[in-house]
Amino acid sequence: MTTTEIPAPARTEKTTPVKRPGRQREGAAWVFLSPWVLGACVLTLLPMAVSLYLSFTDYDLFNSPKWVGLRNYTQMFTEDPRYWRSVGATLMYVVIAVPLQLGLALVVALALKNMKRGRAFYRSAFYAPSLLGASMSVALVWRALFNEGGTVDNLFGTGGWIFKPGWALVTVALLTVWQFGAPMVIFLAGLQQIPGELYEAAEVDGASRWRQFLSITVPMLSPVIFFNLVLQTIQAFQVFTPAFAVSGGKGGPADSTLFYTLYLYDRGFVASHMGYASAMAWVLLIVIGAVTAVLFRTSRSWVFYASDTEGGVR
Amino acid sequence: MPGNRTKESWRPWSFRRSRRSRTGVAVTAAGLALGAVLTACSGTDGSTSAGGKVVLRYTWWGNPDRAARTQSAVDLFEKKHPDVDVQTSFAGYDAYKQKLATQAAGGDAPDVMQLDYRMIDQYASGGVLLDLGTQQNALKTGEFEPGLLATGKLNGKQYAVPQGRGTETVVYDPTQWKGAGLEPPADASDGGWTWDQWADAMRVLKEKTGKPGGTDPGHSEDAFEVWLRGQGKALYTKSHELGFTADDLTRWWTFSDKLRREGVVSPAEQTTQIDGSVENTPLGRRTAFSDMNWDAPASGYLALIPDGIALAPMPSGADGTPGQYFKPSMFMGIAADTGSPEQAAQLIDFMLNDREAAAILGATRGIPVNESIREELAPKLKDFDKTIYAYQATLEGKLNTPPQAPPSGDSALQTTFQRDYDQVSYERMSPREAAQDYVTEAKAELRS
Repeated sequence: MTTTEIPAPARTEKTTPVKRPGRQREGAAWVFLSPWVLGACVLTLLPMAVSLYLSFTDYDLFNSPKWVGLRNYTQMFTEDPRYWRSVGATLMYVVIAVPLQLGLALVVALALKNMKRGRAFYRSAFYAPSLLGASMSVALVWRALFNEGGTVDNLFGTGGWIFKPGWALVTVALLTVWQFGAPMVIFLAGLQQIPGELYEAAEVDGASRWRQFLSITVPMLSPVIFFNLVLQTIQAFQVFTPAFAVSGGKGGPADSTLFYTLYLYDRGFVASHMGYASAMAWVLLIVIGAVTAVLFRTSRSWVFYASDTEGGVR
Repeated sequence: MPGNRTKESWRPWSFRRSRRSRTGVAVTAAGLALGAVLTACSGTDGSTSAGGKVVLRYTWWGNPDRAARTQSAVDLFEKKHPDVDVQTSFAGYDAYKQKLATQAAGGDAPDVMQLDYRMIDQYASGGVLLDLGTQQNALKTGEFEPGLLATGKLNGKQYAVPQGRGTETVVYDPTQWKGAGLEPPADASDGGWTWDQWADAMRVLKEKTGKPGGTDPGHSEDAFEVWLRGQGKALYTKSHELGFTADDLTRWWTFSDKLRREGVVSPAEQTTQIDGSVENTPLGRRTAFSDMNWDAPASGYLALIPDGIALAPMPSGADGTPGQYFKPSMFMGIAADTGSPEQAAQLIDFMLNDREAAAILGATRGIPVNESIREELAPKLKDFDKTIYAYQATLEGKLNTPPQAPPSGDSALQTTFQRDYDQVSYERMSPREAAQDYVTEAKAELRS
């Protein structure tokens, strides 16, 4: 909100001279922004503050909150085996879903990059599942596919993956992996930014396709890979809808898809322990923050920005 | 993304006026936007008038059979009260429980709601329910069995009225039973059967048909309660503490887990799908031949098992101590913040005290609690309602007194019970480990 970047007054304003046009415009900007600023305060910041307060209370949604200090946090870490199962399930999910999804997105983006005809069609076709991504209906269809007696069971005789603890998590992860459209589109955009001369030069030097991929594509694309990695990791930690729909809200079988947010929902709205649920939410926020920070730290050693090199590629 | 949009050419025409009016337009626009945001947030007011009619939201859980009967009763109510529009919705028990909790927490409870014994303490103490004593003119309870009526009271106030009387039962497929050469289980008047005799029947079914005889009862807190009471114990003490130990639960889960390993009761994949609807039980899916359930919802099996079903008493303790009991099957309550308490009370009164409504509803929510209606209705009952009535008659005078209403934490513990047993039936934990987990969580739940 600095006034320095505002360029000189436009033509019409010359006819009605004002002393400080910047200040005036800022006022108007604030007026226009007010619904959203108000929204951010009332709908985001205030609830966050309330949830932080609630995390130190015992609150059943109906009666007024009772201050219990750190009890929710100590109970979470020391007395609640199901909490740790939800942490385990979530980490497992992140580790399976994120690399698979990004890998697939990159492979498809590479395939589409050099495609001459029908690129627009395939790009939309692959992107469509992501648009439907958050919807309950896709997850329900998924449930029907992998259910006992469902299509997948009939084709491969799996006996219903979603009722086998070892497979239920994989089934939910596959649902996410299949929705790789968003990172794919970003990869595609990144790939198109890589200057063709680099490949031409490598070709002249006799570098193989694989060599070109490792020495040109990956380093040039690394900022985009990093961006997708951070974004998808954060999303994966917050996975909720697919597990809720596939397991009927229970995170079963045997807690195998009891993801962190699902258990948080269960504590808050099924067991009416809003205080405990709030405490869980804050721990999740801190963990996601920490994981993101770690990713940023490691990125220094593998993410390559063209502007870092002396002289620069561009 | 929106870079240098201060360029003259970009600015919308309407703002190219004097500065003064520009600000005015801006304020108006911002005000409109804000107004839109605010109006979008309001507007969910318990009951609103649409076209001069009072709109009541009435929600309940149950099966399609109950849905059909409830809808016809509601249609009749609307005919008799043309100024009221009743919007009904229903779901399976698990989904209903979650949705109602969320609505109640958000201050958006339906005007009239069906409640379980396990919900009353939580909702009444949380201020969600209206004191029905304020609507005595519209809702008459004079003909109700006083003992049953009292189950809807908390601290001397009537927060909910029972709709019917129910009890647990072993539902079975008599055709398959006979085919396996089994005698029908003895009625309670003939001494009933013990848990061991029940297990033996399951074994015979498995031997003769190759399929499990019944649902694995280990997942069900209700079945566990019957087993526990058969030994003179209870789920909760009078002071709302846990009435049993991890040892008791270990023994129960060891018993059911052994049967599961033998293949005599349903496998884990089948048991875990149980969600309170008859369709998702092994008996409903026709992968087993019996189930344990409450008697009223058992009517739902008829649509799934064309050959018919029969009801047997729940197994008793080894010395014949009965564990099952008569329970107010479900309740009706009114939201404390409803806009039309009188019409809501009229609807409840109609569902419970109107003779025509009673004839339509039959025993779908249990045997009616209005005593004169019960007497009138008994000889007129048809089909499965008659079966339920006859079944309850065999139990009359044979059962021990019901437990007091469970503490509010119980509602969550019911689900916890099923989840912990998942760990046993999927062989991820021993019965003892799971029992200890359960007891730890139950103690934390009841403490708060």
